[in-house]
Amino acid sequence: MILYPAIDLKDGQCVRVVRGDLATATVFNTSPADQARRWSAAGFSWLHVVDLNGSVAGRAINEGAVRAILAEASAPVQLGGGIRSLADAAAWFEAGVSRIILGTAAVEDPELVRTAARRWPEGIAVSVDVRGGKVAVDGWTRDTSLTGPDVARRFEDAGIAALIVTDIDRDGSQIGFDIEVFGAMADAVAIPVIAAGGLASVDDIHRLRTRAGTPIAGAVLGRALYAGAIDPRAALLAAAA
Amino acid sequence: MQTVALIDYGSGNLPSAHKALLVAAGDLARPPKISATADPELIAGADRIVLPGVGAFAACMAALASLPGLLEALDHAVRERGAPFLGICVGMQLMAERGLEFGESPGLAWVTGDVRRLAPPAPRFKVPHMGWNTLDGALDQALFTGLPAGTHMYFTHSFAFFATDLGDIAAWTTHGETFPAAVRRDNLAGVQFHPEKSQGAGGRVLANFLAWRP
Repeated sequence: MILYPAIDLKDGQCVRVVRGDLATATVFNTSPADQARRWSAAGFSWLHVVDLNGSVAGRAINEGAVRAILAEASAPVQLGGGIRSLADAAAWFEAGVSRIILGTAAVEDPELVRTAARRWPEGIAVSVDVRGGKVAVDGWTRDTSLTGPDVARRFEDAGIAALIVTDIDRDGSQIGFDIEVFGAMADAVAIPVIAAGGLASVDDIHRLRTRAGTPIAGAVLGRALYAGAIDPRAALLAAAA
Repeated sequence: MQTVALIDYGSGNLPSAHKALLVAAGDLARPPKISATADPELIAGADRIVLPGVGAFAACMAALASLPGLLEALDHAVRERGAPFLGICVGMQLMAERGLEFGESPGLAWVTGDVRRLAPPAPRFKVPHMGWNTLDGALDQALFTGLPAGTHMYFTHSFAFFATDLGDIAAWTTHGETFPAAVRRDNLAGVQFHPEKSQGAGGRVLANFLAWRP
């Protein structure tokens, strides 16, 4: 299982927020590039970078910070937040991003995902952000009537690299995660599922990895990693074991 | 002080390659000076040369050739003076005789073989080959000192350099089909993967290159 330390960007800084609410932001590093260097040096094989301002605005807001991360990280980067067109995606691939995450765009314009996945096989991930059982968009400011598996099934044969499933109700809360939110998605489609939101301990990583049913391909680590509740080395061991 | 010329011809991976080289150099007893440059004089006189590269073979070759005096300076440094050279990704592919992409384009022709599109035998092997993959075979000791076969590196490419002289192949990898992950002939080395995105193992390759005395 691949672990993705999250670097969430707000106003040029590396922050963690609770349940997607930007007003709750806690700054963990004023230099996102420094944070990227630390996580890649700690042994994580991928980084998960989100432009939080960008997700709400629908366009890149923290471009400078993302470029600094790309220069500094010694591991590939997947990037989400505000990427709404093929041109946006092309510019980021050109800048050195390894995988693009489409969220809102995937709900509003599924054809965009299909076209992008044909153009960049293995280069597109779709994020499905679930709150109270329904998918939320626009930086989680707006709910839709679709369930997670509804959205996931749309992309069953689109050739996307991963579905990143976020449990908004638990994201940043450290109250422990609900494995079945991710499990239901993994069992619904053949696309690799990356779990995000609420992982609180190394034991949670172990539970994801040893779950009965379709394996979970990866997990995004956020607040628990920054707060020290998850030790990077122990996490990597638990994911590899 | 030793100088390393990182050739700046507009390649997208230049900033990350530059940073990674600085980090690798920092671990050496006598760190060299690393300059991103397109200045033919600096390149002709450099102790070591690194050529990054992403995108299309023909476009990269054209970009190199469009810089005044650059190909001559490169040739002087690595062929006449024997300065150690490292090509990264398309920078490695340019060492080939030809690129077969849209028709045929000439390369630097330092190492025998052609660059062609990956053609894995089953659709589950996607092109581009994107992700972590292992270095296989007997690894070249100049580039891979301290790294065992099976070490993972990060790849992202649709084309590969099928060097035809087996003695030039410094490591293999397999993505549906088996192809060279690295080549080396004399003072000329190239890696298909991105050492600058391959964490500590990639850093080790860069450090090995900086310490290498062919």
